[in-house]
Amino acid sequence: MSCGNPHAVACVQIHSWMWIYLDDELEPESAHEVVHHLEECPPCADVFSAESIIRTRIRQSRETVQTPEGLYTRIFTQIQQTISDE
Amino acid sequence: MSFIGLEPGAVGSAVMSTETKQDAAARFERDVAPFLQSLYGGALRMTRNPTDAEDLVQEAMLKAFAAFGSFTEGTNLKAWLFRILTNTYINQYRKKQRAPLQTSADELTDGQLNEAGENLGMRSAEAEAMAKLADGEIVDALAALPDDFRMAVYLVDIEGFSYKEAAEIMDTPVGTVMSRLSRGRKQLRELLREYATERGFIPLEVTA
Repeated sequence: MSCGNPHAVACVQIHSWMWIYLDDELEPESAHEVVHHLEECPPCADVFSAESIIRTRIRQSRETVQTPEGLYTRIFTQIQQTISDE
Repeated sequence: MSFIGLEPGAVGSAVMSTETKQDAAARFERDVAPFLQSLYGGALRMTRNPTDAEDLVQEAMLKAFAAFGSFTEGTNLKAWLFRILTNTYINQYRKKQRAPLQTSADELTDGQLNEAGENLGMRSAEAEAMAKLADGEIVDALAALPDDFRMAVYLVDIEGFSYKEAAEIMDTPVGTVMSRLSRGRKQLRELLREYATERGFIPLEVTA
């Protein structure tokens, strides 16, 4: 997974930062190196876009979860009961 | 000092000193209701069963209400609620589970780890094929991960918590969150690749 060209920061280092970078948790200096690297390294840029596609898809999967009907009422009714029991 | 502020004896918000139980209940309902769907989603990913998930949310919310006085208003309520949900799951619910506990995050061998690391470089064409999987298949793949990995992936990738928040919720160091997240994500992607191959979205020769 390398384009064969020399880079200021090696592909393997960029890969080790990938998730931290995409999570927005990489320190700014290293994040800047990632951006620079991706501009000049198409194979790494492709790996990053692949990861972005998967991340987006995984996050979307949460939207199908439906809260069961009545859960809201059950919870807040029970809380009311704990108050009146005291 | 935790930024979520769950410590016993933590100083409650100024509001608490004058409000009645009824006021507190109303404030709790108003503040917590917007997170109920997320909490249920989280409970479902933890228990992997709708009935148990409902019981878990209900039990956790009763605890949250009882501890609401120790929640500092203006801090991260969603993280605070998730921490209570997670603690409730770990301390009470998981003990009762019929199935034996799965392999813990820290029990993987180096061989398994190296194996997981080799598949990191995914191509965008492959990712697009994997993205065609149905929501249910993605949920199933996530459910197949060991407990600790699943929790880390769920909190960060689905709920969007930061590493620091996830660490507070799971009561582990940030480094542990990152390691569980990394292992969990790798396993999840391998499963999704398998599913996508089974479904014929990825031609066999590409994965060979």
